[in-house]
Amino acid sequence: MKCGSGIEARQVDELFINIDPIQAGGRLTADAMKAVVAYGDGYSVCDNCRKPNRLDYISKPPIAEFHKDVAKWLNMDAVRTVPGARRGFQAVAHTYVKKGDPVLLTSLSHYTEFLAVEEAGGVAREIPVGDDKLVTSDAAAEKIEAVKKEFGRAPVLAFIDHVDYQYGNMHDVAGIAKVAHQYDIPVAYNGAYTVGILPVDGKAMGVDFVVGSGHKSMAAPAPSGILAATAEREKEVFRTTAIVGDVTNRTFGIKEPEMMGCTLMGVTLVGMMASFPHVKERTKHFDRELANHTIVMDALLSIEGTKCLSEYPRKHTMTRINTIESFDKVAETHKKRGYYLSSALEEHGITGVIPGATKVWKFNTYGMTTKQAEHLAGAFVAIAKENGLSVKG
Amino acid sequence: MSKRAVDMTFQAIYTLTDLRALLRETAPTHEFDATQKAQAERLLENLDRQVGSLKQEILK
Repeated sequence: MKCGSGIEARQVDELFINIDPIQAGGRLTADAMKAVVAYGDGYSVCDNCRKPNRLDYISKPPIAEFHKDVAKWLNMDAVRTVPGARRGFQAVAHTYVKKGDPVLLTSLSHYTEFLAVEEAGGVAREIPVGDDKLVTSDAAAEKIEAVKKEFGRAPVLAFIDHVDYQYGNMHDVAGIAKVAHQYDIPVAYNGAYTVGILPVDGKAMGVDFVVGSGHKSMAAPAPSGILAATAEREKEVFRTTAIVGDVTNRTFGIKEPEMMGCTLMGVTLVGMMASFPHVKERTKHFDRELANHTIVMDALLSIEGTKCLSEYPRKHTMTRINTIESFDKVAETHKKRGYYLSSALEEHGITGVIPGATKVWKFNTYGMTTKQAEHLAGAFVAIAKENGLSVKG
Repeated sequence: MSKRAVDMTFQAIYTLTDLRALLRETAPTHEFDATQKAQAERLLENLDRQVGSLKQEILK
């Protein structure tokens, strides 16, 4: 079925259980899909834009109210919507980082944080992780001291991922923020895998900024995200334009340079808004998500040779798994080689594992029903047994 | 054409969207439990009514 010339209608999530690690939290709610239908036109949210002509002031649809609600929900003071978390990192980096400034990241930071630092002319310095793949406040303190020795000054900014993209491990943001603030380093919290997934309280963690991803974790169309700030930092990152044209003498009202004026227009914003009540509610029930994840993890770990590379017990539904001594052993002799696993999963109605991956791979169970989690668990065990692997219990 | 025809077009799309959500929730087997079956029946009845109204508006 086509939805345009040469464009196949995508039916992945209708036909399969999708365990792609980055797609789970961004699947649209039915309300978001309806909003997409109604607000697909380019400038659709601008019908009722009135002075002072800025996106976050529009009251119909209730965009202004949405901004206030998101700030309150995250326990922060101001919010702007951005075209993806990366644009939030970019705005923060561009505000605080000048050429040659050291910036604190971690060994598990997302690449877009590095690019944001690079674009601002900064120098990346990573807090190393231990064997447990966790970033600690002690390691942060050591790294800050090392940076001070190297640069003669502390880092000007820190980006800390609460849950990292590589292992789905949960890091001590509050502890790291406390250390960073002792050196007056503003802390940007990367909540790409948490905002919209589990409860996030910016002030309780003591961070200056909270960055979230709409398309990764807030059931919103891409590219979308949020950047939240404390009252102190709001004035800096959301400063308004002061530029004046020398010929026309034009000024540009209360537009914000870091936001490049208005940010999300149309379907991305309204999709995020339509999902928001559901997203708020679902974060209160993250325990159910972990229970479903446990069903799948128990099944995977019952397959002899399979190891969990992420922290365990799991605190998040995205997990890195090592199947070198299980599914990869089968690949050595299977006629489909490494492709047999994704192929067999597909036969069970499951998609999202990279075709050919049998060694180390990631999956995410977020948003599944318990029935779907049981189906997935059963499929892993069945595939293992069909291929002669030992299964405990 | 009328506002009613436009409203019914959107309503029908939204009803189908709710059905789509049900298909996602039950993938890959699409075996509905009693609650889901009742929900699907209700949605399909609504869709029938909405399409009926659309026919009245558009083909009159």
